[in-house]
Amino acid sequence: MSQPRIAYVGMTHLGICSAIAAASKGFETICFDPDAARIKALDAGNLPVVEPDLDELLRNNRSRISFTADVAALSKADVIYVAPDVPTDDAGGSDLAPIKSLLALIEPALAKDSVTVILSQVPPGFSRVHAFPARPFYYQVETLVFGRAVERATLPERFIIGCADPKAPLPQPFKTFLAAFGCPLLPMRYESAELAKISINCCLVASVTVANTLAELCEHIGAEWTEIAPALKLDKRIGAFSYLTAGLGLSGGNLERDLATVENFARDHGSDASLIEAFIHNSKHRKDWPLRTLHQALLDDKPDAVIGVLGLAYKENTHSTKNSPSLALLRHLHPWAVRLFDPVVPATAAEHPRSTACASALDVAKGVDALVIMTPWPAFRDLAAGDIKAAMRGRLVIDPYRMLDGAALTKTGLTHITLGAGAPRA
Amino acid sequence: MLEHLQIQPIAPTRTVVVGSGGFVGGAILRELTARAMPAVGLTRQEADLLAPGGGEALARHLKPGDSVVFVSAIAPAKNVAQLMDNLRMAEAACQAFAAVMPGHLVYISSDAIYADDANPVTESSSAAPTTTHGMMHAARELMFKTAVTCPFAALRPTLIYGARDPHSGYGPNRFRRQAAKGEAISIFGEGEERRDHVLVDDVARLAALILLHKSRGALNAVTGVSTSFRDIADMVAAQFPGGKVASTPRPGPRPHLLHRFFDITGCLKAFPDFRYVRIADGIADVHKQTMGQS
Repeated sequence: MSQPRIAYVGMTHLGICSAIAAASKGFETICFDPDAARIKALDAGNLPVVEPDLDELLRNNRSRISFTADVAALSKADVIYVAPDVPTDDAGGSDLAPIKSLLALIEPALAKDSVTVILSQVPPGFSRVHAFPARPFYYQVETLVFGRAVERATLPERFIIGCADPKAPLPQPFKTFLAAFGCPLLPMRYESAELAKISINCCLVASVTVANTLAELCEHIGAEWTEIAPALKLDKRIGAFSYLTAGLGLSGGNLERDLATVENFARDHGSDASLIEAFIHNSKHRKDWPLRTLHQALLDDKPDAVIGVLGLAYKENTHSTKNSPSLALLRHLHPWAVRLFDPVVPATAAEHPRSTACASALDVAKGVDALVIMTPWPAFRDLAAGDIKAAMRGRLVIDPYRMLDGAALTKTGLTHITLGAGAPRA
Repeated sequence: MLEHLQIQPIAPTRTVVVGSGGFVGGAILRELTARAMPAVGLTRQEADLLAPGGGEALARHLKPGDSVVFVSAIAPAKNVAQLMDNLRMAEAACQAFAAVMPGHLVYISSDAIYADDANPVTESSSAAPTTTHGMMHAARELMFKTAVTCPFAALRPTLIYGARDPHSGYGPNRFRRQAAKGEAISIFGEGEERRDHVLVDDVARLAALILLHKSRGALNAVTGVSTSFRDIADMVAAQFPGGKVASTPRPGPRPHLLHRFFDITGCLKAFPDFRYVRIADGIADVHKQTMGQS
């Protein structure tokens, strides 16, 4: 058979990145969204998301990609991925209304033998309830990582496929498309696949929480978490790629959404979710580390302090500010003047009453009493200790992610405070 | 956590402090007066909440829409009888509030409502009291929250110290009295247990801020710094020429709860400008006040 034609429905982060990755594997790709303005912008090459290498990948594969707001175009597709981002609220609850309305919109437009695949993250039970009757219908686990979406979409570790009947063979067009990625296929029942996605994220959160819990202890007893983490990664039971970098709790919304889903299901079914509650509690606790540190190290003694904040996005290489630690910090710094810079997110996103938008990272440091690096954008690593020292009024640098050379800063007379590092005990 | 119903501070038309004859209530009334916030203090003379008709008596002193700070308590509630008396006082107050609904109710509770093993304690730590005193405060919080339709806030101080404290529990107040009498300050064992102590003036300032912002929810009145009794004893001793600290055998086994820590992020978020008085400064300040009094 000829190459199947692939369609993606819902042109937000997941759909855009996945569609461009599909085209990069040589498939004709239809990108559909009912929002004509969004389609027009995409057609003009304006991506609403920031991901390393994504613009280039789009340019290189543009000839195989068509953007359309006409649902009838989906009739030409052999495999249709339904991939809108599922919005979440502050408590991690999912809003499934948009994906439900998209499913209702596209069903009449699809070719009879076409394969529909839900790629968006949905709670266990969703796929079986919403499967199109008498049509091949699947759920596929997405493993998009903000800031690494291209890598994850083009080089997946495996495909986890939720099926009505996992023993039945996959339809040929779907199989052909998946085979192009050259990774293992794991068919399983819908509910298992839906829970597999959540399970992956729970394991990641467990690692992150271990790192954050022990990094905090390091700060109190004079230990150094960056000395410990590599030792753990050499343990085969833990693994070289485990998430053991200390951070400021969970952000971005996806992990929080999965924890909320497990909590809700456990509540409904009477299973124990106290571990999940502990994850959430620790995340909230660590997210406030910069606020506590700023107060202890500066604000309690200097009520007129000026604070420089580098980074507003929830992590590097993304425009997303969902549950951003930086914005969370700035919400509680309203009495103080702040100077702000993020390579992508405008300073207005902070909604701070006494903020100054700065033109560069070094500009932020001018005249501040404390410099706080809240997003680990790679460009911040280029800041030289001497330049920072010369620009600042005070001497406090709060650098949770260790973007700067702590020893060099200390040498200039600055105080460098980071996650997971305690002063050695005498 | 506290939620402010008034982002910009606005003084209530009138605040009634129920229990203003006591150590904490008196400090709150003085703080409100110093801030020129209209305030009235009620003591047992005006409304005896344990007397028959105590609720009606309190209601007669209230106006609809008053902000009320309820501090009145037999504290610490050391036994069942005192626990029940405190609950009867709260019951009478609830009757008064049903008759004359306040516009805002602030209850001065206690960190004793939390489980002993909650560490670090935050406002969202579970209420699991292990003493009659803690149970009294937990029950009263629930009674008031249920009884009123107005915004309700619970301020939960940890161990309070101050110049006018009539109590002589183990800690800064007792240490000061011992030193003032020329005695060695006696600590149990090595005095290694670490606790948070808050100056009564800080409790009063927080109560005023809660009133000004018409806040609802809960806030711990804690400094976030836990200090060993040995260090506190040394700080007090340093205020007196020749002040000494002596270790004495513990009256019982070493306490199960050796240290207690608080996470004060809730306060940093609710009142970013608020600064607690550090215990060394507080002890020095109390010393100056008491020397001035004598």
